[in-house]
Amino acid sequence: MPFPLIINGLQYVVDVEPETPLLWAIRDTLDLTGTKYGCGIGQCGACTVHVNGQAVRSCSIPVSAAAGATITTIEGLSTDGTHPVQLAWKEFDAPQCGYCQSGMIMSAVALLQRTPAPTDDEIDSGVTNACRCGAYHRVRQAIHRAAALMSTSPTGSGEENNDV
Amino acid sequence: MTSKQTVSDAMTARVETAGMDRREFFITTAAVGGTLVMGCGWPRRGDAVGVTTPAAPWYRESTIPEINAWIVIAPDDTVTIRIGQTELGQGVWTACAMMISEELQCDWNKVRGEYASANRDAREEAPAWTLKNPAGPEPSPTDPRGGGGEGDLPATNERISWTGVYRRMTTNRSASVKGNLYFYQMAGAEARERLLLAAAERWDVPTSELTAKDSIITHATTGKTVRYGEVATRAAELEHPHPETIIIKSAHEFTLMGTERLNLDVPLKVTGEAVYAIDVKVPGTLHACAKACPVWGGDVKSYDFDAIKEMPGVHSVVQFPKPDPGLIRGRHFSGGVAVVADSWWRAKTALDALPLEWEYPPYTHLNTENMQQALVESIDEPGQLIYQQGNLEDSMAQATRVVEATYDVPYLARARMEPGNATVLVTDDRVDIWIGDQSPQETRFSASQITGIPQEQVHIHSSHLGGGYGRYGNGPQAEHAVMVAKALKGQPVKMQWTREEDWSVGTTYRAMGVARMRAGLDADGYPIAMDIRAAADQTASSPHRSLVPPGYFFPNLRVTNHFADFHVPCGTRRATGSPSNVFFVESFIEELADAAGKDSYEYRRELISRNDFLFKDDWLQALDLVAEMSEWGTPLPEGWARGIAIDDRRYDREKPDVCTIAAMVCTVSVSKAGAVRLERVDVAFDEGFGFVNPLSVKKQIEGQVAWGWNDVMHQGFTVKDGRMEQNNFHDFPVSRMSEYPREVNIRFFKTNHWLEGVGEEAMSQIPPAIANAVFRATGKRVRSLPLRKHDLSWA
Repeated sequence: MPFPLIINGLQYVVDVEPETPLLWAIRDTLDLTGTKYGCGIGQCGACTVHVNGQAVRSCSIPVSAAAGATITTIEGLSTDGTHPVQLAWKEFDAPQCGYCQSGMIMSAVALLQRTPAPTDDEIDSGVTNACRCGAYHRVRQAIHRAAALMSTSPTGSGEENNDV
Repeated sequence: MTSKQTVSDAMTARVETAGMDRREFFITTAAVGGTLVMGCGWPRRGDAVGVTTPAAPWYRESTIPEINAWIVIAPDDTVTIRIGQTELGQGVWTACAMMISEELQCDWNKVRGEYASANRDAREEAPAWTLKNPAGPEPSPTDPRGGGGEGDLPATNERISWTGVYRRMTTNRSASVKGNLYFYQMAGAEARERLLLAAAERWDVPTSELTAKDSIITHATTGKTVRYGEVATRAAELEHPHPETIIIKSAHEFTLMGTERLNLDVPLKVTGEAVYAIDVKVPGTLHACAKACPVWGGDVKSYDFDAIKEMPGVHSVVQFPKPDPGLIRGRHFSGGVAVVADSWWRAKTALDALPLEWEYPPYTHLNTENMQQALVESIDEPGQLIYQQGNLEDSMAQATRVVEATYDVPYLARARMEPGNATVLVTDDRVDIWIGDQSPQETRFSASQITGIPQEQVHIHSSHLGGGYGRYGNGPQAEHAVMVAKALKGQPVKMQWTREEDWSVGTTYRAMGVARMRAGLDADGYPIAMDIRAAADQTASSPHRSLVPPGYFFPNLRVTNHFADFHVPCGTRRATGSPSNVFFVESFIEELADAAGKDSYEYRRELISRNDFLFKDDWLQALDLVAEMSEWGTPLPEGWARGIAIDDRRYDREKPDVCTIAAMVCTVSVSKAGAVRLERVDVAFDEGFGFVNPLSVKKQIEGQVAWGWNDVMHQGFTVKDGRMEQNNFHDFPVSRMSEYPREVNIRFFKTNHWLEGVGEEAMSQIPPAIANAVFRATGKRVRSLPLRKHDLSWA
C-alpha cells in the first residue's frame, strides 16, 4: 500500500504494509540508514527521528500514522555535519561505538528546540536514550556546549536543514 | 509441508522456497524541486561478487601503490592506514593509526583509516620483520631497541595463525595496544625508511643526512625538502635492504602517542554516515530473520512453511543446524530457522507467524534457583586449586575470630546495541561476508568450514561495530548467516537477529557465580587465614581473574575454583572474570574492615603495606591518590557515603609484570525510601609509562562507570525452563543520562610497567565500591546482585 512521506524535505512514496514501523520504511525502503534499530519496542531511542518537530521513536509508530507528516532524520540535520549539536558532539568526541548517537543527537536537538538552555535536570528528563557504551558524560557536556553555540550563532537557531 | 528435524549433514541447511511470482515493486521518490528519482527495491538476482560496501567512506580498494601492507600515501599526502583491529567504540581505530604514525612521522591531520583485509591475511605471509619484537619476549619500557607490549604474543587458539600479513586481527583481551604495539611501530618505521631512501635517491645523498617530520623530508645541509606524496610512488618500489636493523622508539621517546587526539571515526558517527554492518546493502540482497531454539543445544522439531508462504514478500524458509561448537570456542548454540523475504520487516513478521515447534534438549528443568543451588553445593567439593600459601586450616584454627560470607552474581549479557547481523554471498568458489566482527580471522575459518571453500577465497568486509564488549561472546551471527546464505547459493542474504534473539539466545554470558569467603582474623582484626571459594559455570571466562596473586596480605591463603556444568553458553564479557571476583573480594574486605572496626581505606592500606609483591608501591599510590581526590574521611550529608575498591587485572601466570591498577571511590546517596543515586566517582588510574591516546582512555573509564553502575544496580539475567527470562530493554535495564553521576574525576598516575589495557580495567571496582558505599549509608550489606532486588530503605 503506498504511503507518502516527507523526509528531510524530500517527498517519497513507500509501498509497504500499513503496520510496517516507520523505522523500517526509513531504513530499508528508503536506505536512510543513519536511523538505527535497537529494541523495536520504543525503549532505547536509537531510532529517534522528528515527526512534525517532535522526537519520536520510529520503531513504534506505523508508517500509516506518519503518512503526510514532516519527518527529519539524522541525515536531514545538516548537509555537512555542521549543525551546532553535531559540532559540539565532535568537539567533545562524544560517541564511542556511536550506534545510538543518531537517536541521541535527534533527542538533543528536539530538547534544545523547546528548551534552548537546559539545566542538567532538564537534560536528564529530556534525553532518555540508552547508550550502552555509557557516553553520557560527554553527551551532557556537548548538549551544554551546543546550547551555547546556538545562542551565540548569528544564524542562531540550529534549525534543521530541510533543503537537502 | 511439515519438515522434520533430521539434518544429515551437520553443516547443511535446508531450504523451502515460495513460488517465484513476486511482483517487482518500485519506490518512487520525488524531490521537492520536481526531480523524479526512481529506485528499485525488489532484489534482482544480483551477482555481488566484488562489490564493496556501499557508502562506506573508509573502505575502498586503493589504486595508489602501497608502501607496505599497512600504509598507502597519496600524491596529496593523504595517509591511509590499514587497521587489523575492529572499532567498537574503544578508540582502536585511532590508537592503531597513532602507533603507526608515531614512527611514520607523517602529518596526523592527513591520516585516515581503513580495515585491513582478512582475505589478504589468508593469502600472504607476514613480513619477517613483523614477527619478532626487537626487545625480545620480556620487553622493558626503556629498552633502547624499542618494542614493547606483550612481546611475541602467540595465537590463543589453533584456528588462527598469527603469521598472516596482518598478524593479530583479533580485538580482545585489552590487547589492541599491548599485542600490536611493536609491529605497528615497525610498519610505520619501515615505510618511513623507504620514503627516506626514495628522497636520498632523488637528491643523491645518504639517508643519514635526511630527517622526516610531518610528512616532509628535509636535507639538513642544503635545506631542500620533499613531501611524502612526491616520493611515495618510488618508495613503494624500493625495498629496504635490512629491515631487521630498523630501530623503533622506546616508550620514553614517543611524541604523538601520549597526546590527546580526537577519534577518527567520530565525525561520521554524528551525521549518520558511518556504516555499520546492519547498514550494508549489497545490490539484490534478500533479508533473513533467524530464530534458534531458546534452550541452548536444542533444535527445530517441525515448522509449517505453507502457513506463511503467501505472506507479503516471503521468499523461503531456511532451516539451519546447530553450529559446530568447534567454530565458536566450544560453546553450544541451537539449530533454528530463518525466514527469507524481500525486506527484514516482512521476514520478521512472517517468522513471528510461522508455526514452529522446538526439539528441546534435556535442560528445561533448569532455573536460576536450582542452578544456584548446584553452585553452592560445588563449593563444598574440593574444587580446583588456584593458589595456596601457608597453612590455611592451622591458621584458621588459631584465629581470634572467623568471618564468613557468601555472595552471588547473576548471568549478564554484553547487551550491545547493534543486533547480530551479517550479509553473506556464497557462490561456488567464493564467500563474501559483510560484518562487524571482533575476530575476522576466526569468522574466515568458520565460513570456510561451513562452505568447504578455502579461506583464501573468503572475503570479510569489515565494518565498525555497534558495541562489542567481548570477542566471540556475541554468538554465532556469522555462522547463522553463512549457513543461510549457503542454502541460497548465488543470492546475497542479509541475516539479522531481533533484539530479543540477540540478547537471550544468540549471545554468551558472564557466568552466574557464587563465592564463599572465610577469613580468620587476629586480635587486631587483620586476616591471618583466608579461604576463597568461587564457583561458576564450567564455561566461565577466566574464573580466577583478579583473585590471585592477592594485593592484600593473606599469610595463609587458599583459592579454589568450583564448577557446575550448565548448558548456558558463557563467554568473554568485558573484564571476563574480574567483575565477579572483585565484587567478592572487595565486598568481603569491607566486611572485615567493619568487623575490625577500622576505616575502609586505612584497613586496605595496611593490608597492602604488609604484603610483598611487585606492584605494592603502585597499589599504595593508587589508593592514596583516590583517597585524596575523593576527600576521603570528610563529612557528608545524612544518607550519603563513600565506598572504595581497587584491582589491577593481572594475569597471574602468563604475564606477571603486566597490569593496570585502578582505585575508585564511589559516593552515593540513599533516600530513606531506599533509592540509590551515584553522586560522584573518583578514579585513580594507572598510566604505566604512557597511553597511546589519553582522550580515549578517559572515555573508556567514563563508560565503565556506567557499566559498573548497571552491573551492580540493575542488571541480571535469570533462567527459567532452561532459557533466559529477559530479552529486551524493558526487563534488562540499561541506565540513562539521569543515572549517570554528575561528577566524575579521573587522574592518572605514572608507573613503570606495561599496561594490561584500558578498555575493561575500570569495570570491576565500581560494583563493590557502590555496594560498600550503600552499606555505609544504610547498614545493609547486599551480597546478592543486583541491588535493585533489595529493600534499601533505612531510618
